Amino acid sequence: MATKPKVIVVGGGVGGLWATIRIVERNVPVDLFSLFPVKRSHTCCAQGGINAVFDIKGQEDSVWQHIVDTIKGGDYLADQPPIRSMCEAAPGLVRTYDRMGVTFSRTPEGIMDQRLFGGVKNRRTAFAGATTGQQLLYAADEQVRACEADGKVTKYEEWEFLSVVLDDKGTCRGIAAMNLNDMTVHTFRADAVILATGGLGLIFGRSTMSTNSTGAAASRVYQQGAKFANGEFVQFHPTAMKGHDKLRLMSEACRGEGGRIWVPRTPGDTRDPREIPESERFYFLEEWYPAYGNTVPRDVASRAEFRVVRHMGLGVGGQDIVYLDLSHHPRAFLEARLGAILDMYRTFSGEDPYTGPMKIFPAMHYSMGGILVGFAKDEQTGGMQSIHPDNHQSTIAGLFACGECDSAFHGANRLGANSLLSATYSGMIAGDASVAYTKGLKNGSADTADRHFESEKNRQEEINQALISSDGTENPFALHRELGELMQEHVFVERDNKGLDKALEGIRQLRARSARMRVDDKATRVNQSLSWARQIQDMIVLAEVIAKGARMRDECRGSHYKAEFELKIPEGKFEGDPEFERYKAKWKANNEKWLKITVATHAKDGPKIDYRPVDLSVLAPTKPRDYR
Amino acid sequence: MTEASNGPRGGSEVGYFLIRRLHSLTGIIPIGVFLCFHLTINATVVLGPDKFQAGVDRIHAMDELGVLKIVEVVGIFIPLAIHAVLGLQIWLTGRQNVLAYRYGANIRYTLQRWTALITLAFILFHVWQMHWLGGWFPPGGEQFVPGQAPKSAAEAIQASTWYAPIYVIGVLAAVFHFANGIWTFLISWGVTITRRTQGRVGYVCAAVGIVFAAVGLSSLVVLKTTDPATLHVEPHEASHAVAVNLDPAD
Amino acid sequence: MADREIQFNVKRQDGPEAAPYWEEFTMPYSSGHNVVSALMYLREHPCNANGETVNPVVWDCNCMEEVCGACAMLINGVPRQACAALVDDLEQPIVLEPLSKFPVVRDLVVDRQRMFDALLKIKAWVPVDGSWDIHRHAPLISPNEQSIRYLFSRCMTCGCCMEACPQFQQDSKFIGPAPFAQVRLHNSHPTGSFFNPDRLHAIMGEGGITDCGNAQNCVEVCPKDIPLTDAIAELGRQTTIQWIRDLFVR
Repeated sequence: MATKPKVIVVGGGVGGLWATIRIVERNVPVDLFSLFPVKRSHTCCAQGGINAVFDIKGQEDSVWQHIVDTIKGGDYLADQPPIRSMCEAAPGLVRTYDRMGVTFSRTPEGIMDQRLFGGVKNRRTAFAGATTGQQLLYAADEQVRACEADGKVTKYEEWEFLSVVLDDKGTCRGIAAMNLNDMTVHTFRADAVILATGGLGLIFGRSTMSTNSTGAAASRVYQQGAKFANGEFVQFHPTAMKGHDKLRLMSEACRGEGGRIWVPRTPGDTRDPREIPESERFYFLEEWYPAYGNTVPRDVASRAEFRVVRHMGLGVGGQDIVYLDLSHHPRAFLEARLGAILDMYRTFSGEDPYTGPMKIFPAMHYSMGGILVGFAKDEQTGGMQSIHPDNHQSTIAGLFACGECDSAFHGANRLGANSLLSATYSGMIAGDASVAYTKGLKNGSADTADRHFESEKNRQEEINQALISSDGTENPFALHRELGELMQEHVFVERDNKGLDKALEGIRQLRARSARMRVDDKATRVNQSLSWARQIQDMIVLAEVIAKGARMRDECRGSHYKAEFELKIPEGKFEGDPEFERYKAKWKANNEKWLKITVATHAKDGPKIDYRPVDLSVLAPTKPRDYR
Repeated sequence: MTEASNGPRGGSEVGYFLIRRLHSLTGIIPIGVFLCFHLTINATVVLGPDKFQAGVDRIHAMDELGVLKIVEVVGIFIPLAIHAVLGLQIWLTGRQNVLAYRYGANIRYTLQRWTALITLAFILFHVWQMHWLGGWFPPGGEQFVPGQAPKSAAEAIQASTWYAPIYVIGVLAAVFHFANGIWTFLISWGVTITRRTQGRVGYVCAAVGIVFAAVGLSSLVVLKTTDPATLHVEPHEASHAVAVNLDPAD
Repeated sequence: MADREIQFNVKRQDGPEAAPYWEEFTMPYSSGHNVVSALMYLREHPCNANGETVNPVVWDCNCMEEVCGACAMLINGVPRQACAALVDDLEQPIVLEPLSKFPVVRDLVVDRQRMFDALLKIKAWVPVDGSWDIHRHAPLISPNEQSIRYLFSRCMTCGCCMEACPQFQQDSKFIGPAPFAQVRLHNSHPTGSFFNPDRLHAIMGEGGITDCGNAQNCVEVCPKDIPLTDAIAELGRQTTIQWIRDLFVR
């Protein structure tokens, strides 16, 4: 390549920041785009921690066990070489965070402490108080600021990514972005673009995600030809507090510390919960799952809550609410063990969780699916080659994706405290890959004809103009509410094909209506309504990908649950028993049919769904999961 | 990623730091120390005019050594001028917001600035009235007679009904400014670090303030309420003799 | 209760140069609203209290959990995060204003770039040789020191402390309270401390630590209860020692 390469990173959570750091370390300058100052990114909401095996708790933990837990946690639906490499890299990444000054909680000896997290047996989660994500984000932010001080990073904060600029061959040569202060559209040249734009929680209306986690950026590149994988796999967290604006996560620790989940036995009981006697409380998790009680896995708890509210009509006050009760514990105990979390509940609800139950319900929490990215397998180690242009490259040449917006690592469900790890690791890998990619380029973006940039700019300006001057009747914010209601009604913790058909029909109607939107804000500065109107259109597109993927996948796997297709383990029967063997055969047949990655391709009339085999070279499934 | 540069970052920054620290320091040493001495010696008038006169004589012995003026200028007036000029400059860097934020420390922050202004005005008045420049701003300056300290001070304060309230306000302002100044000094220099320590030391500073306010006011009460004639003292022969011996020109 | 309303009085401004104006809004009452969720309702129904359709109010927000720092504004005169301000706890009409110490971009959106610039100036990072693994952790840190550092590491650059500080102004050079917490944080990291002179020199000049007036509003309004004044006092000590070191050791 004749000119010096340059890379654009879109998104400033830990994924984007790690990509930036890696690229700068290879002496390639970075333009970093973000909707807001990168320090405000959604990573700051991650509370629990980051998994990495140090084996410092006398439990003979091993990286292999972390790999196994991650693969099984994802119900085998993720390519395994990247998982292997990620788990192997995890201790190194966490050590680096430590060196960067993250305030990891310490043991009395002064080393990094590790806690137990859901879905695993060993204590391997490093954490910084109750705000691990915030701490990791700030450490990466600080390192990027150091790069900025050296003049190697230019930040474009309060800029919205609109699209990639493609040349005649469909190679990514830059981006179009909108300055959110004056709403002008600009194009920027780059030899590689990394998308690190996070999750898509707002497609479900309200979720545990930040208000900017719309998935719009991922949707935009999907509409430009990038394939989108495993969209239907969305993690629901069983204990989120209700809110008009957001469903705030109440940590799993509440259940871990003895929190009991219940509803009044009488439908529509309007009494103060503290006045309802024990005999009139329905502790449904304890009754249904006596072995685990309130500490059943996330997906089981979510579905039980859903069942009790939607099928049995026992939601508190007839609403989507169940109680999470810790008030049987002494205040001092709660303050010491869960103080930060309960204080947050009190701040945002105005109610006291020390004396009465908290009101919670499952909420969309994480998207395992995302932009389909590749990897270069290392045949010798069985992992991923550490530096290779194929790693985390999307199906658009020169466009990479990392963090929650990609589809790697988590398969059908994500292990707790693996998201900070995957965001960091994929950011690192994508950064390295983008530089490797630019080195192999014959022609840089500087050689790309101006017309590609001009036409993309014009296309984006026309979209803005059409919305601003539209005399339509549809309110973009109302459309979002309707989309959220639809998704929470039919594409939620429990799915069935009839409901999903309704969802698809509803989404198509919303899509049609979104063409008739009106933007109330007529200003030319900080026009958040315009920005939102564009995002809702893109969210509807991804909603269809999610719903259609769910409609077509006739099985239960990880977070995706259709009662109709559930394979139930025969009770009291174990390996060797003919009934169990019949079950096992069904399970195998189901894997033959469905153990494959959903790949959505954009088309005018909705997504085209294909399937792709999973790389199971590290740990192939041989027998069904059995927690008995 | 970045190289360490352990050297100073340039003269202007270090100079700025020095000037600000100088402002902070001069408030305690020597000005604060002087204030304490001054108020304490004045308060000896409560024990009788002779005690007060003896204290004044001890100070004015320096006069007869020929160094009192130097001590006054170098030890008091120059530091005071530095403290005042830098203080006014500091005033201009802030914008008080006590109406919006009525927290204790913010109220004291505000009072610290206004008491500074009051104290400065009072000191100028006091110096004019008692010591210097009386001829420049008539009528009635330069009232203090070192050899008749209690009587002349009482006469000066009783010369107008306005003077006693002026003195009360001035002394209280100065004492507050001093006591709160100790508190901020200890923070600025990093002696009291945690909020808890600062809270405790705050009580100590308050106690210091109350004690010196009482000390200061006690002399005012005596000088305001006592007939000046009864405060007449006989010149002390011994000290006069020493002065003559040492300074024949007097 | 059906007729109950939530009333807002919002200070609006169309752009940085435009004149601010007040606009009233009302919306139907519903329990559990916070200021952001109410603004979301108003954004969907952009009608002022007179029933006129107006441009929706714009504001910043993101995490909605009081950890990202985006939605800081003046709510009934108090700088705080709008997402954590429950309507049921607020006196009505709820008065919303943009933070006054930063340039208004539009309505409640302000430009807090200056805070991020300050982080650049004070070198608020722990320099590392690279992001690659060197097969070593950071040196040991005691649980006690970690828990103190953790308090400072939660600063979300929201600007509430800057807003309340009487020394921090749009036209003054003072970098404000928040950056000091970051100097304190990074100076206490075992390897971050190698660069303490750099960070200390960055706060010893004009606009630095000596411009603090100890009004301590910062610590009162901090939504995360960060002991900002402890950091400031600690840095008072560190800068004093650094100054002496510069004078004699180099």
